[in-house]
Amino acid sequence: MKAYLAIFRMRLKMETQYRGAVIGGVFCQMFFGLILVALYRALYAGRPQALPLSSVITYVWLQQAFFRMVLSSDGDLADKIRTGAIAYDLCRPLNLYGYYYLRAMAMKLMGSLLRAIPMLVLAILLPDGWGIAAPQSLPHLLAGLFGLLLGLLCVCALENITMAITMRTLDSRGMQAMLNLLMMILSGNILPLTLFPDSWQKVITLLPYAQLLDAPIRLYTGEWALSQFPRVLCIQGAWIVFLVALGLYFWRQNQKRIVLQGG
Amino acid sequence: MSYIDVQNLSKSFTLRKKREKGKLLREKTEIQALKEISFSIGEGELVGYIGPNGAGKSTTVKILSGILTPDGGSARVGGLIPWKERKRHVQRIGVVFGQRSQLWWDVPIMDSFQLLRDIYRVPEDQYKKRLSNLTDALDLGAIMKTPLRQLSLGQKMRAELCGSLLHGPGLLFLDEPTIGLDAVSKLALRDFLKEENEKKGTTILLTTHDMEDIAALCSRVMVLGHGKKLFDGQLSHLLSRYDTVRVIEVRYGSGILPPLPDCCRMERNGENYRITYEPEKMPTAQLLSLLQGAGEIRELTAQPQNIDHMIAAMYKEMDL
Amino acid sequence: MDTVKLYLKSMKMLLRSQMQYPASFIMQTIAQIVMEGGEMMAVLLIIDRFDTLHQWTGGNLLFFFGMMSVTFYLTECFGRGVTGAFPSLVRSGHLDTFLLRPRGVLTQVLCHAIDPRRIGCIGVGVISLILGSRQSAVIWTAGKALLFLESILFGSMLILGLFLIEAIFCIHSVKSIEVVNALTYGGRSACQYPIDIYPRPLRILFTAVAPFALVLHVPSAFILDKPIYSLPGFAAFLCPAAGAAFFLLMYGLFRKAMTYYRSTGS
Repeated sequence: MKAYLAIFRMRLKMETQYRGAVIGGVFCQMFFGLILVALYRALYAGRPQALPLSSVITYVWLQQAFFRMVLSSDGDLADKIRTGAIAYDLCRPLNLYGYYYLRAMAMKLMGSLLRAIPMLVLAILLPDGWGIAAPQSLPHLLAGLFGLLLGLLCVCALENITMAITMRTLDSRGMQAMLNLLMMILSGNILPLTLFPDSWQKVITLLPYAQLLDAPIRLYTGEWALSQFPRVLCIQGAWIVFLVALGLYFWRQNQKRIVLQGG
Repeated sequence: MSYIDVQNLSKSFTLRKKREKGKLLREKTEIQALKEISFSIGEGELVGYIGPNGAGKSTTVKILSGILTPDGGSARVGGLIPWKERKRHVQRIGVVFGQRSQLWWDVPIMDSFQLLRDIYRVPEDQYKKRLSNLTDALDLGAIMKTPLRQLSLGQKMRAELCGSLLHGPGLLFLDEPTIGLDAVSKLALRDFLKEENEKKGTTILLTTHDMEDIAALCSRVMVLGHGKKLFDGQLSHLLSRYDTVRVIEVRYGSGILPPLPDCCRMERNGENYRITYEPEKMPTAQLLSLLQGAGEIRELTAQPQNIDHMIAAMYKEMDL
Repeated sequence: MDTVKLYLKSMKMLLRSQMQYPASFIMQTIAQIVMEGGEMMAVLLIIDRFDTLHQWTGGNLLFFFGMMSVTFYLTECFGRGVTGAFPSLVRSGHLDTFLLRPRGVLTQVLCHAIDPRRIGCIGVGVISLILGSRQSAVIWTAGKALLFLESILFGSMLILGLFLIEAIFCIHSVKSIEVVNALTYGGRSACQYPIDIYPRPLRILFTAVAPFALVLHVPSAFILDKPIYSLPGFAAFLCPAAGAAFFLLMYGLFRKAMTYYRSTGS
């Protein structure tokens, strides 16, 4: 348990060391957020939608603030896979799945917390119609936060599976780029999922990608009533169980394969 | 009128330190890489340029080849100021960095050479002539169609040399050209450089840590330390000042060498002994009689000290 | 002319060396198509939901999107030395080698790299342009075709100029380049859509500072027969020159910066 906590502490320390990069990143993300808000304001001016504009703007800001969670950023592990150094790790008597799972989580959590807090403060300070709106109610906020946590568990499990798969392919960069992109589109980063055609949304919102940010944001803005919360929890929970089981299976297979080959 | 003329050349770099805790601004430290050095080199000379790491050798070469702009002082190479008339200047020089390649990694070296021909605007007939000469002299014929990345270190260095001489430069800067090469490649490279210097009259400035290179090629050496020129003259003059130690190796058929006086250093390897001593403190005749008294000598060789040791002694004395 | 020949020869050589790994090339090109395809899909979905944006129809929006993506990725394809490889050139000390040759540094940087995978993105952009032009029922004339090419050419210069800022920062070994990236990539994102939909500060930024609007939007609007900024027709032919001006300014600063270049010492 102590060792696992240390992973988080190390990560936080690393992130705070690169203050310049964090400040630059916040600036960049704010700028992109402003451009997107300006675009949706212009679109809404011509043709208002059922979903209020303020919800879309809030959606944009929350997406920007937690951008780091979307991006798979474990370049270290990807390098290890590319160079084959991962073979050493696979031979160690460690629960590697657990280790890399927590590593991915620490990276996403610590990396985005440092950026999300200043960004959300800035987004609150923006003038009316530009900034982030308050949550529907306190229970909505709590439901959103809880959903975010479960969504994170879900995405980390997903990432571990993609890692396990890329471990088997030789040139993983193209694969990685494509999976990253799938994540960006299907999590609502490029275009809020709420603006996708309604028929598509029925399917997309069920996918694991949507669990990370889309579902929590909809709970936060109140687009989904609190009565939907149990349904969201069920979907997230089911994905977590399924994805973790699948990931464990893949990692075991990889480990076996490499031990059989004798490293 | 000398070919390279350097007067009071200075260059300093500012290093930004990592920000310390609680301090708003990063501290800066200034490092003086070159402190007003002056020298001149005549056309057709082959000069060795030595000094410990960080002495400012590379900085000098980079200024003279037009990469860096100095802070003060002047330098002229063949009448041109390198950093001001860069394009005209580099047309007439060749540079080889031992650890850095100027050829293209993934393509056959032949293609690299052709691109260099276009970059330097070498007329076709001259290019053909030079290429065939260099191919012979550097024995490149068999590897012309091989990509650079597949070549051995020695082959790479030969290809680099060819690339830097295709435009027929009158001046060649070499920065550690023999680093990492095996003995055969090293000797071949030295022969080539010697010939290039003697037959074609190419002026060469050779920066290296390999004293064997210097001893084999250069009659004149310049020693640089802490950004200052410490010595400029014949290698033999330099060495005679530090050539104070001799080495005797002796092999016994039987008998054991008793402990020697403190001023001698003894290393033992089975029956073989290696004794390092200073004839000033321990006369050779006295040492020999000690050795002879110890037992039946099978073999004995006497030699001057390794040149690297001499240079190390020199650096130590100069407080480098 | 000689320089152009050198550039073309270098490109040919680089292409040949990259094609030594065809599987990797194909995989990465597909990834690029998916990437840019995803961006285009976002535009299509927006059109599906909102139909129009101010005075612009869906076809118009596709045309604007195509203009940006063709221009941007052409620049990244042929200008990769500046747009992608430069920081590593400085770090590896390769820039030293360029200074040792009797050619301009920027020429050699451009000759150093090509990114053929971008052909995927460019392809998506071209499709978007064709769809946009069809749906907007553009009547092409020789003048419009000329303007189209001019816009792409000067647009590339503008983008190259923006990446040169990054290079200048790099020469001075400044690490936090996110601010510059915000202008370059932010400009790409924002100016996929016509400038007149944005509020004043953004309009000023992308007209007067990084003139995407002058270089891409004014000509595009002219081609679509819906002039913006109430400018007369001939202005559409003049405005793109702002891209060249921007490039020249940055090129001047780049040359200035090179005199402060301190090579990474051994």
